[in-house]
Amino acid sequence: MQISRLKISNFRSIKEAEIQFGAVTVLIGTNNAGKSAILEAIRIALTRRWGQRGTGFTEYDVHLCDGRPDPKVGDPVVIEVELQEAVANEWPEDLQGELEDIIQLDPVTGRASIIMRVSCSWDAAEESFVPRWEFLNVDRNPLAGRGARAVNLQEFFQFLPVFYLEALRDVTDEFSSRSQFWGKLLRTVQIPEPLEQRSKRIFDLLNRRLLDADPLLTNLATGLSHISSVAASDAPGQADLRLLPLNTWDILSKAEVIYQTEGGKPWLPLARHGQGVQSLSVMFLFKAFVELILSDLYRPESTAVLALEEPETHLHPQAARSLWRHISELPGQKIVTTHSPYFLQHVPFRDIRVVRVEANGTTVSSLPRQFRAPVPHVPQIDAIIADSGGIITYDRSLNELVLSGTLPENQYRNLLVAYAGRPDTQGIHAALRKACDASQEFISDAELEKLGTFARRIRGEIFFARRWLLVEGQSEYQLVHGIAKGLGYDLDEHGVAVIDFQNNGSPEIFAVLARALGYPWLAVVDGDHAGHDYIARITARNFSAAEIARRTYSLPAGFLEQQLVEDGLQNELKAILVSFGNAAATDFDNETLISALENDKSGYAAVLAKQCAENQALAQRMPAPFRDAILALRGLT
Amino acid sequence: MTDSSLSVALSELTEAQSVAVAWRDGPMFVLAGPGSGKTRVLTTRVAKLLADTPDRSFRVLALTFTNKAADEMSARVTALVPEQERRALIGTFHSFCMQMLQQHGSHIGINPDFAIYSLDVDRQEILRDAIKQAGLRPDDVRLLSTIDKLKSQLIQPAGSARYFRDPSDGSRVEQVYAAYEAALTQANALDFGSLIAQAHRLVTAFPGIAGRYRKTYAYWMFDEFQDTTDGQYRLIRALAGEDFRNVFAVADDDQIIYQWNGASYQQIQRFRADFSPQELQLPTNYRCPPAIVSVANRLVVHNLQRTTAKQPLEAGKTSLKYPDEQHICVLRYSTDDVEAASIAEGIAKIDRAQWGEVAVLARTRYMLEKLQSALTQKQVNAVISQRRDDFRSPQFLWLAAVLRQGLRPLDRRALEILTGAFNRWFGTDARVDLIVTATELTERSLLDEWAVAVKAGLGDDVNGNALVDLAATFAKEPARFRQFVDAVLAMIPAQDDEASDIAEDRAAWSDLVRSIGKTIGRDAPLEQFLQELAIRSKEAPVGSNTVTLMTIHGAKGKEFDHVYVVGLAEDILPSFQSLKAGENSAEMEEERRNCFVAITRAREWLCLSYADNYRGWNKQPSRFLLEMGFSLPDQPSQ
Repeated sequence: MQISRLKISNFRSIKEAEIQFGAVTVLIGTNNAGKSAILEAIRIALTRRWGQRGTGFTEYDVHLCDGRPDPKVGDPVVIEVELQEAVANEWPEDLQGELEDIIQLDPVTGRASIIMRVSCSWDAAEESFVPRWEFLNVDRNPLAGRGARAVNLQEFFQFLPVFYLEALRDVTDEFSSRSQFWGKLLRTVQIPEPLEQRSKRIFDLLNRRLLDADPLLTNLATGLSHISSVAASDAPGQADLRLLPLNTWDILSKAEVIYQTEGGKPWLPLARHGQGVQSLSVMFLFKAFVELILSDLYRPESTAVLALEEPETHLHPQAARSLWRHISELPGQKIVTTHSPYFLQHVPFRDIRVVRVEANGTTVSSLPRQFRAPVPHVPQIDAIIADSGGIITYDRSLNELVLSGTLPENQYRNLLVAYAGRPDTQGIHAALRKACDASQEFISDAELEKLGTFARRIRGEIFFARRWLLVEGQSEYQLVHGIAKGLGYDLDEHGVAVIDFQNNGSPEIFAVLARALGYPWLAVVDGDHAGHDYIARITARNFSAAEIARRTYSLPAGFLEQQLVEDGLQNELKAILVSFGNAAATDFDNETLISALENDKSGYAAVLAKQCAENQALAQRMPAPFRDAILALRGLT
Repeated sequence: MTDSSLSVALSELTEAQSVAVAWRDGPMFVLAGPGSGKTRVLTTRVAKLLADTPDRSFRVLALTFTNKAADEMSARVTALVPEQERRALIGTFHSFCMQMLQQHGSHIGINPDFAIYSLDVDRQEILRDAIKQAGLRPDDVRLLSTIDKLKSQLIQPAGSARYFRDPSDGSRVEQVYAAYEAALTQANALDFGSLIAQAHRLVTAFPGIAGRYRKTYAYWMFDEFQDTTDGQYRLIRALAGEDFRNVFAVADDDQIIYQWNGASYQQIQRFRADFSPQELQLPTNYRCPPAIVSVANRLVVHNLQRTTAKQPLEAGKTSLKYPDEQHICVLRYSTDDVEAASIAEGIAKIDRAQWGEVAVLARTRYMLEKLQSALTQKQVNAVISQRRDDFRSPQFLWLAAVLRQGLRPLDRRALEILTGAFNRWFGTDARVDLIVTATELTERSLLDEWAVAVKAGLGDDVNGNALVDLAATFAKEPARFRQFVDAVLAMIPAQDDEASDIAEDRAAWSDLVRSIGKTIGRDAPLEQFLQELAIRSKEAPVGSNTVTLMTIHGAKGKEFDHVYVVGLAEDILPSFQSLKAGENSAEMEEERRNCFVAITRAREWLCLSYADNYRGWNKQPSRFLLEMGFSLPDQPSQ
């Protein structure tokens, strides 16, 4: 059983957000974007402790904004956790039996789901923020009867224990005898009674021998015995020195992991190793914990939910890259935040969630396979579903219409008709519109796979950029960097990722990726046949004419070299060729010049880019589409 | 500790009971005579199934017919296997359906917080409004019983017309039925019949839900299976589907006394045909003295509609209080009044501490009322015990109605009840129609406007005003209803007279709160509290030192040391209707079973009586007396 979706309202930086989760989910975003708020929402929702302070919510958890300055007034904090089977009977039978009273059912496919809601608002009478946990039915109404009993919550939590590894992991804390994994592991160790007794006898004997070895120790003990004469007690006390542990727990609690980096190096305690090794060791400790004792502490069918902040901390890029594999192999459901492009390189696109802070609070973008509209089931849609070729389905275990692909216009119209003439038609139509619009951003598995192979090199970094600039090839890539610098807008400094799409895939895949994940983007393409084709391919992905006009630039004279010549840069270009040892270049006519440049694309472009970077006047003479695009990047949305 | 209490319970079973308790998989039909320990068999089997599978998570379903019986069974299972209690769902058909609809009803448009209308007056009100709204004929309100009949046969409104011979009658009923159901839906309410009918609709429309119940509830048990109605049986069938076999029914075909309500030998026959169960008989009676067992056997063999191979009851009771020939007495009186007076006199002679173990049973209420006044004259405490759908005292009627109003501020019916009850309590004269009109002008809530209206008539009555204020405070925060209830309970006057309406209601209330708390927890929200309140009887528990007066129907499943069965005369038991239907009619057989049930309630002593004259009409002694083989007195004893 794992969390399939989280809906959050009015919680910390989040006004309203919906996040889907898989076996592994990777949250990226700048500091303070709201990643930790998402992890915290899960932690609070799934770890209620009765009568214990510090659980639940405080006034600092309420989302505040211009319309809401006072946490005590306004809509409640709401966290809705959904868990759903992918197929019927995916969840173990015993889990289903235990949680029977809160399970909701898709009565057609038999898929089970559980919906839990935590809400919290200020209670004037109690003078505190009072949270309320409840399980919901598919219409999101609280369950009544047995489903409303408090005991359900305890059972439910048993199946879904949450563990939190913060970014600041201190190996001495995590491996202390009181820590969440190490301490619990040690406490399950069972030493047979005879061995325990025997050890004690040996410790005592050895202790005595050691004390006797040096009179200083004996004298010390005698000296300390005077404590009793000061601590006014009738019975005379006695002090002794203990050089060895009193019992086996004393030994176990001091157990320490030692580690040898490679053969021949010394064995050292973890704390003596580098930060990277320390950080990694905590993750593997978690793995051991889950595999060895989770089912004893919780239930055999429990799924650990691990919230893991910045696992890449202190790791070498190479290690950060391979980290993905280790994390995905950890048991349970993992929710990871990261700031590392290296780590991200191997994360599947579908698992990435881009978290941002915008005017209305935190937003979360992703590349879902499905788009969902919370609308009721009516018999009229059955025929539309049957004719949709699998694009439309209805999920009765959450009461949602599901689009598994881009919804064609005619099917959308049919759906609108099916829900016409009801008192709630307006709301339903709005929900359908929203899902239909979102489905226009659908990217198929095949496309993502292609992108994955082409763009591995750049995919880590582009997701950490703020804006994308798409250009055709390597020479444009160099040139725009130079021009921008010359124009006083350093692309690296401003978080602009330049993507040379010819080497990495196709322009339209980056355009749809940017749209779906919320990266503002621009493209500059050649004015030749191929360039027109690129724009046509982007347009075909449901971009409006206005969007295309705003976001794409093409070189009017044709390809890059033609444009440079057209813009009167012959002298500069010829000088570069001459500097490359091509003395004849001085006398080239335009046509010869263009073809000579084409033969050495990246060579000349690198030099020209460098010149532009250092010479603002030259940069100002570069092709207008580049300059316009760079200008437009500022404040681009 | 629990291990031992279960093993003790197991060791106390007789051989036949053990076989039933140990039954594991497959269909089983247990024919259990009166006093044969069937409740013990059921509860021990539930406990054993759970105890044998401590690491499994499947649940066991056990359905019986009254909430009281369910509460008792639950308590016994909890005592036997406390740590497994969660895995047992013990309830009534209605509470089971209520839960199913709370959890999965949304698939057929039912919200989990639905109200349950258990009172006919409420339902008539709903129907009257529905008829008015739909522009139908006002006097069609009398079709409510027709609607109930349709519902009990699980017939939904759409298409119900075809069940009528006359098409115009049919379409009229269909319209009224549809309007009534629409009104219930609009009020987010279900009536008792809907609980079964909608649960059936849910599992037939979505077999996946039935499949889920089969999977989660691995073993099903049905108590008093002979009383299952057609609708209940069809619900079981729909839930079981084609493959589910772990059904265990306990029944006594000699105790079918709810034929008029749809119970029938047919259901037992259907069960046999549909599930081909193994059959086991528990003929040994551990309750009654041998003399009673023997007359019961003699009586019931006159019935033909029963299991052919049914073994006669065997007397299993070993320790007897009285000598063998003193267990039964037959008395004849001149008139019903004399009968009542003499029986009362007899009871008055019994030690007062034993009165709680004395019951007087009659076919109808008529004789019970006579007995009650006769007993009162002799200063014997006696109550007529029967299911009560509502409280009696204005105080508790008001309390329940205010709770309802708090949950559903627009509920007109609740307003009517609380206004009427409060007027009776404090002599105010608030008028519902004026309150409703006023809310339209002031846009205040019905309850607020009621408060304004009664306060005008209350003057400076401290208690009255305080109650009105309590109600107003509660309405603002319905979630804090428990504080409200406690405050009101403290203000309801105590009365010395134990038989008063207030005292009875108060006892019933605390009994109900205890029972509801056990079922859904003490912190359950108001809507669930009211749901549970609606499906329970508001009858007060019979106090100690109080004689119980009951109809035979009400006595089913009960037992007493001393039992008086009165009115054993032709036209009374057997009833006039059964005589009209004929000597070998189904009705006559049902009357015979009534008599059978009545006499087998007695643990120590049975008194059968009749008079020569009832309500001024001469009557012959009941044929059942002769069938039982008694020689009757030549003369009335007074």
